Amino acid sequence: MMDAATIQTRFRERGFIVDESFATALQIMLALEKPLLVEGPAGVGKTESAKVLADALDTRLIRLQCYEGLDAMAALYEWNYPRQMLYARLSETDRSSTEEREAHLFSEAFLLRRPLLEAITQDRSPVLLIDEVDRADEAFEAFLLEVLAEWQVTIPELGTLRARHKPFVIVTSNRTRELSDALRRRCLYLWLAYPTVEQEIEILRARVPGLSERLAHQIASMMQVLRGLALQKAPGVAESLDWAMALMSLHRDHLDARALEQTLGCVLKVHEDRGVIDAHRADLDQALNGAPAPSQPGGYSLDTDFGIGSVSTRRR
Amino acid sequence: MEAGRRAMYPFASLPDNLIAFCDVLRREHGFRIGVGESHDAARALEVVPLASETAVRNALRPILTRTRNETSVFDRAFTEFFFPGPKGQEQIGTPPIRRDLEAETADGEQPPESKRSGADGVDEEAGLDAHGEVSPSRMTAAPETTEQLARVSYSPLQAEHVDAGPELAPVDAAWREAARALVHRLHLGLSRRWRQAPRGRRFDLRRTLRASVQTGGEPLVPRWLSRPRRTPRLVLLIDGSRSMDAYAGAGLQMAVAIASVTLRVDVFTFSTALRRVTREVRQAAAGAGHRLERMQYAWGGGTNIGASLHQFLGRFGERGVTRDTVVVVVSDGLDVGDPALLRDAMQALGRRSAAIVWLNPLLETPGYEPTVAGMRAALPYITTFSNVANHTDLARLSRMIRVRA
Repeated sequence: MMDAATIQTRFRERGFIVDESFATALQIMLALEKPLLVEGPAGVGKTESAKVLADALDTRLIRLQCYEGLDAMAALYEWNYPRQMLYARLSETDRSSTEEREAHLFSEAFLLRRPLLEAITQDRSPVLLIDEVDRADEAFEAFLLEVLAEWQVTIPELGTLRARHKPFVIVTSNRTRELSDALRRRCLYLWLAYPTVEQEIEILRARVPGLSERLAHQIASMMQVLRGLALQKAPGVAESLDWAMALMSLHRDHLDARALEQTLGCVLKVHEDRGVIDAHRADLDQALNGAPAPSQPGGYSLDTDFGIGSVSTRRR
Repeated sequence: MEAGRRAMYPFASLPDNLIAFCDVLRREHGFRIGVGESHDAARALEVVPLASETAVRNALRPILTRTRNETSVFDRAFTEFFFPGPKGQEQIGTPPIRRDLEAETADGEQPPESKRSGADGVDEEAGLDAHGEVSPSRMTAAPETTEQLARVSYSPLQAEHVDAGPELAPVDAAWREAARALVHRLHLGLSRRWRQAPRGRRFDLRRTLRASVQTGGEPLVPRWLSRPRRTPRLVLLIDGSRSMDAYAGAGLQMAVAIASVTLRVDVFTFSTALRRVTREVRQAAAGAGHRLERMQYAWGGGTNIGASLHQFLGRFGERGVTRDTVVVVVSDGLDVGDPALLRDAMQALGRRSAAIVWLNPLLETPGYEPTVAGMRAALPYITTFSNVANHTDLARLSRMIRVRA
């Protein structure tokens, strides 16, 4: 089993920077074979981390994207009805008995595996990503609990399928809805905060090759300021990467007021946020000019790492 | 960890320490840690280097915590337990204690009435710790909180000569009938889910085929799917400021009436602070009269609507307001706070809820125009603007509520 340092190196090789607490959480998750619930603001790399983990473990990533109205069948399995219907019609003239035909009709050949069943029937432990679980409704959450606890699925026509290799599960949530205590209890918990300036620079440099030191620094410190403002959609790491790419493609080696104006669309996704930005122009200019962003006073996010590097609190 | 610190461990052996630490988290911090978690923690310690404090901390945190709020509590408790310093002194490596309203309460499992009343009541608002000193965390608080501090500490004096607030009384059949009409008529449209139904809009191939097994593979009986109705929730926010004294009784009566016909309702009162009164309202609905005490139930004093709504969103917004929620605000809109604050809160509420109904008693006044700064800020986000003074109004309201698509 990998230890935290190995996980950090493997992730770094794949362009994903994880801090120590995240790496340790992953290590514990692998060791205890328990699902890991990752919460945090949008765009801090929750989903990406699962992809990278699968790659690092050299195993398959199976993704279940949750959405409103997702039900058990869409997550587990479905019978291929049109094919079954066709087969039933075609085999009408067969001399085989009804029982035989029925047995064949409900065999694995007609089974459509959906992510959860797929994850259970792998020859090697896959990484199962249950993405944005807060978007699914409570009924689905209860169903999920059952699967996560038992790792077996009963298909009435086929019998019970039990996982030969338990998947490594990463559950992500954006906290649009409070998750049930039962689900939390089943999972290990990790709060993934926005990266610090240093981490963000590291991420930018790892993901956007050729990015100048100065630009990386400017983007990272701008992001700190932006995330501290009361924006409706605070920019995540994904946005800073987009931004870096955009500036690169415009052949900018540093960020100035004009470049900012041209590329602000990479960062701001809501029109109203424009007004907020304009009101805090002075702070942005300060960040542009490389001065350290004011951290304590005003309404800025305190990215204190609490000495452990994972908790961030934001002042309302 | 150097040897000097290690000597400070309460117990000699690691398992004992771990069990004692879990116990502290359980008893003093209200963590829900079972045998399973302790066991997992012990297993986790087998795979991480025990010599590194951060590794142990990072390994135990995911196992013993369950919410964002708990993670910061955990880190404090970890330091306190394993590296206890002299009392009253800032401990080494202790993260700064910040009372972040959102982080603190958004994840709490206990109903706010039981545990919170002491924890974040007036005392805490005023930034006083147990020794009556202003805690350092409060010193760095935003100006908005300092303002609140001043107001809250001043309000009890104001409220001294008025001991009791309005009465929460059981309501008569007419009110109940009107509330029933309201709840009954509130339609939010259909859910995104498909459920089996006797007559539906979509053909259920799966069940039809399954049923056809009984008829020898001939799909004789078609099965159908339909979309069930979304069930609405109501959240009532009732202004208890002094300017509302004459009218708020009707608001509370409406709350009691609604609570007597449905359980899907949450009631809050606010003036300078916000208080959840759902339990009292339900008791009144069940026939037990109740008198809201002024300060304790955020009754009396001026209103800071914007701040109260922000407080509501921070504490209950995540769970309490969903796309199925109809928010009802009963207030005259006479806000002493910043209109921008109110606008932001209304915008956030509007994004999350199905509808915002604003009941303003001043609408009864002939010639009233919603021109107060607060009201003007809130208007764009209101879906229904009306007033409820008696049960006929409530019955009428049931026909007026518009829900966002």
